[in-house]
Amino acid sequence: MQQVEKRKVSMGSRMKKTGQGILQNRWLYVLILPALVYLIIFNYLPMYGIQIAFKDYKAVRGITGSPWTSMNGFKHFYTFFNAYYFRRLISNTLLLNVLGLLFTFPMPIALALIVNNIRSQRLKKFTQTAIYVPHFISTVVLAGILYILLSPTNGIVNHLINAMGGKSIYFMNEASWFRPVYIISGIWQNAGWDSILYIAALAGVDPELYEAATIDGANKWQKVRYIDLPHIIPTATMMLILNSGSLLSSSTQKTLLLQTGGNMATSDIIGTYVYSMGLGSGQFSYTAAIGLFVNVVNFILVLSTNRISARMNGETLF
Amino acid sequence: MTALAKQNMKPAKQKIIKADRAFNIFIGIMVALVLIVTLYPIYLVIICSFSDATLVTSGQVTLYPRGMTMLGYNAVFQNQELIHSFFNSVVYTVVGTAISLVVTMGAAFTLSRKFPGKKLLSFLFAFTMFFNGGLIPTFLTVRDVGLYNKAWVCILMGCVSVWNVMVARTYITSTIPEALYEAANLDGASQLQYFIRIVIPLSGTIIAVLSVYYGVAKWNDYWTGLIYLQTRSLLPLQTILKEILASLESSRELLMSMVSDTAEQDAELLNRAQIAKYCIIVVSTAPAVVLYLCMQRFFVKGVMIGSVKG
Repeated sequence: MQQVEKRKVSMGSRMKKTGQGILQNRWLYVLILPALVYLIIFNYLPMYGIQIAFKDYKAVRGITGSPWTSMNGFKHFYTFFNAYYFRRLISNTLLLNVLGLLFTFPMPIALALIVNNIRSQRLKKFTQTAIYVPHFISTVVLAGILYILLSPTNGIVNHLINAMGGKSIYFMNEASWFRPVYIISGIWQNAGWDSILYIAALAGVDPELYEAATIDGANKWQKVRYIDLPHIIPTATMMLILNSGSLLSSSTQKTLLLQTGGNMATSDIIGTYVYSMGLGSGQFSYTAAIGLFVNVVNFILVLSTNRISARMNGETLF
Repeated sequence: MTALAKQNMKPAKQKIIKADRAFNIFIGIMVALVLIVTLYPIYLVIICSFSDATLVTSGQVTLYPRGMTMLGYNAVFQNQELIHSFFNSVVYTVVGTAISLVVTMGAAFTLSRKFPGKKLLSFLFAFTMFFNGGLIPTFLTVRDVGLYNKAWVCILMGCVSVWNVMVARTYITSTIPEALYEAANLDGASQLQYFIRIVIPLSGTIIAVLSVYYGVAKWNDYWTGLIYLQTRSLLPLQTILKEILASLESSRELLMSMVSDTAEQDAELLNRAQIAKYCIIVVSTAPAVVLYLCMQRFFVKGVMIGSVKG
């Protein structure tokens, strides 16, 4: 009895203390409020809205009022997993992202190593500034440049191919060319920007290490191999975790711009399917279910890569 | 050192010098390659935008502008819809970026302090980086809260990036010493006063970087306009550009209507429409790139401090 009383008192004083803490920090809550409201409206309310994936959404009845589907609410998932296009969508999405990651990921690292070893400070700065520029070009404009330069009739690339005796290639309208165009243009646009992190990591290398290596008789190749590379690996691991979390998503906006009638066989990915079926044809519940499936897979991927990297070298995101 | 030892060292040292020289040449070649690959496409688009249409489409403009002309730019500046959407984008970008900066710095400052509930709030912020409602639920929510087809959706959508909040928070914790807070506290300053009088003036670098991040993201966003806007007069530039630039058909009609002289041959018109595309690319991209180049000196420092995990 006495103990209970005691606990009450201590709880009471703790609450009082917390209350004081809140009062003392009232401005902090005020300052974070707008961002919190934003997240509630644009992130958490939509998460609440995910329930339509298990329902048959009817506009008049709204998100909460719509009836649950058959199969305990899993009808849409069942339909999707058994649809004839399911395999094509999954493999297109995975291939685009896995191939993309495979070819894209090493590029910023290579760039950082190159930039880091430029001896003239002015050239180094110029190169850094220049390789960031493509990042500031919009996806729409990038797509526009691709359509123009790769045009089969008057694009410069095909003029070059013709001049060398080759036949014009209809890059933007051939399924086999979609992935290369997508990935190479992505490297052009983002490799430079993504190298910032690695350049920062390299800037943190203790210059004494290089001096010591020189005394030990190491040449520059060896310095890159044994000093620069190991310093980049933690950052690289972190980026790999971040990137592998989006193996099933995130390429929708650009893919939509590069998608043409001719390349659908490879460019038809989950994201563009959700866009056209959901917003184009109004199949809200069905496409919300597909979107939820993608998000859950991505979430699991992030958590597991994070766990793996934690075990391997102690680098984690959270 | 004996003569023998000297003789033994020489070949080893020479080997290193040789390897280093090869390395330097290799780096030189790679830098040249990187710069050409990065800059040539941009350069090509710019020189083509000033060149004669027929020469461009037949692939004869490669190194410098030929048949200098401003016809393409004239056509672009005569297109009312383009001008209007350009103006829309300016408004969305300026207002949106201003809101983003205020909201982001506020949240970043709060998360850099210690207070009851910090753990919960940090979690609520971080969680959105790894899970979201997805396109369709977000669309329905935006419609339900009455933002569909309103200019505000273009301003507010994406106005808080949790990633940017984290970057700004890291910047604040790593560059502003705690002693300043204690001193301000002793002088009786409230947390709001400390934030406005001390944190903000000391955060110039990160504010410059954030304004480029947010401004460029807003300027380059075609998606919000595509999904959430219906009224054409509200559309931002990039959404209009999607129709003009990103399709095989090249929106012939739209481009042809830009060229006033209808007496010309059809082929010539098409060529001019093609040139107009180059001009549109230059005009629409220039603001973002110029903003970046102006703020560029803040970049290396700001990005590094913000992104390197404290």
